Amino acid sequence: MNHPIVPVAPERKWRGGGLSERIAMPLIGLFLILFALACLFPFWLMVVNSFAGTRSLALNGYAIWPSELTLKSYRFLLQGKQMFTSYGVTATVTIAGTVAGLVVTALFAYVLAHPKNRYGGLLSFMTYVPMIFGSGLVGFYLLVVRWLHLKDTLWALVLPYIMNPFYAFIFVSFYRSLPHELNESATVDGANEWVIFYKIIRPISTPVIATIGLFYALQYWNDWWLSLLFVDNSDLYPLQLLLRQLMSQMQLTSLNHGNVLTLPPAEGVKLATVCLTIGPIIFVYPLVQKYFVKGLTLGSVKG
Amino acid sequence: MKRLLKDFVRNRYLYSMAIPGIVFLVVFSYIPLVGHLLAFKNFQISRGIWGSDWAGLDNFRFFFSGKDWIQVTFNTLYLNVLFIIFEMIFALFIAIFLNEIRLKWFKRTVQSVVFLPYFISWVVVGYMTFVLFNNTDGLVNHLLKQLGLEAFNWYQTPWVWPIILTLTRIWKSAGYLSIILLAAIAGLSVDYYESARLDGATRLQQMKYITLPLLKPQIIILILLGVGRIFYGDFGMIYGIIGDNGILFPTTDVIDTYSYRALRQLGDFSMSSAIVLYQSVMGLIAVVSFNALIRKIDKDSRLF
Repeated sequence: MNHPIVPVAPERKWRGGGLSERIAMPLIGLFLILFALACLFPFWLMVVNSFAGTRSLALNGYAIWPSELTLKSYRFLLQGKQMFTSYGVTATVTIAGTVAGLVVTALFAYVLAHPKNRYGGLLSFMTYVPMIFGSGLVGFYLLVVRWLHLKDTLWALVLPYIMNPFYAFIFVSFYRSLPHELNESATVDGANEWVIFYKIIRPISTPVIATIGLFYALQYWNDWWLSLLFVDNSDLYPLQLLLRQLMSQMQLTSLNHGNVLTLPPAEGVKLATVCLTIGPIIFVYPLVQKYFVKGLTLGSVKG
Repeated sequence: MKRLLKDFVRNRYLYSMAIPGIVFLVVFSYIPLVGHLLAFKNFQISRGIWGSDWAGLDNFRFFFSGKDWIQVTFNTLYLNVLFIIFEMIFALFIAIFLNEIRLKWFKRTVQSVVFLPYFISWVVVGYMTFVLFNNTDGLVNHLLKQLGLEAFNWYQTPWVWPIILTLTRIWKSAGYLSIILLAAIAGLSVDYYESARLDGATRLQQMKYITLPLLKPQIIILILLGVGRIFYGDFGMIYGIIGDNGILFPTTDVIDTYSYRALRQLGDFSMSSAIVLYQSVMGLIAVVSFNALIRKIDKDSRLF
């Protein structure tokens, strides 16, 4: 699968251009550079200030270049237990959710796209309705807390996102593009659909599986909605909720401005938490970016 | 009937593959619909949904008699309109400009960088906003002071937040939208540019008179998809950035954050579900009407 990161634009012949172009093109380049820098700048602030010393933070606040750099925040953070606990929770939820989500949606979509299935229309209708008419927060909350009794369990962070209609439809459009003869011959050999799916369909859909899998992983890694609703026990805090809790304390301190004690000493620790939370994404990003681009272009063709 | 049964038996393996998906759909998307009933009840946890007394339209009467519903509805629509417009404008600039760039490495680098913020959670974005704007130690106020200006109380000034939220939204999603647009540009025929070039069109003219008009269907579809969800505020975004800072509610509180607070902080299930039902119904009307519009413009892009 050699998919270019930049969608292939038509080959065009460029010409020198007149005066207006010699002025316009550098301006266009400048706009792009400035926007790109604006995209990177907040990341820079987070990273560099997570290395700032307590005194530097207290004196200058968040700076573009702190006067004193130290590893103290990280050392402090890694001595505690919470960071490791939260990493464990986020990693578990992300892996379990991604695997389960892929299996469930891929199978469902395979049936939906299968020519022998007589209920394709009914199944897609069933999938569309929730996208159109929201079932709402209250019913969802009662379901998880009162009927399934999943409050303060990892299940509450995994199960609700497993079946994703959008991703199912991306699978469907892929399966529809496959030649039907592929599984026709296998059916003649007497293999049942589960075997055909596992032996024939799964290997050829690796690129789509990779793309959708990454979308699932990103969703689970970044989610804090489910944990905000269903988790009170700090042993089950995923990274994002941990951050959220740290932040809500910060906003309170931002309100009593003018007070001398506005900057809690643990400021650097919080920034270090941010960096450790987005760290894995930033490191994996260059490797997986092309799959996301592929997913977006697939999804835009038909959601 | 007999034929149906025969079909089920013959294709039992095939149909069995859909069961997990159906179960998850039913449990997490259909059963919660029961929650809408609470809007018409006077819900008490101890008595459960079925045991609680009917309240008729009391919950709605209460919700619509106050001023809150106007405020949260307005904020939801207003913020979404701002987001849809400005995201699209920036995405268009990025995509059309990138399309004119010849240096491959430059194009590739810019594209990677502007796509990056899409991968960051709203909690982290909220944190970044705080680092930039907080009243005492924020970078912006720090720079203002260095320029000899007064520090500004961003977190206590409601009117600036629609602007800040729109900027954050551009920061986070313009790059992502531009990739969808770039893919559409890549599908345009070279011939258009070729003949325009022969007629002496400059690059600027090509952008304005070829790329932009040819992208029109794609732009309209993307905008309508956004408009179809106009009654749904972005909870993750608003709550991640604003949180429980009540001073900012007048300009930032959307239906989703309002119903969340009604449920989680006030514990008023019936009230919350009245708001949520109102939102679902308005959302349904919006998505159905805009889908009809999309269907007219481009059949393949419709949602259903």
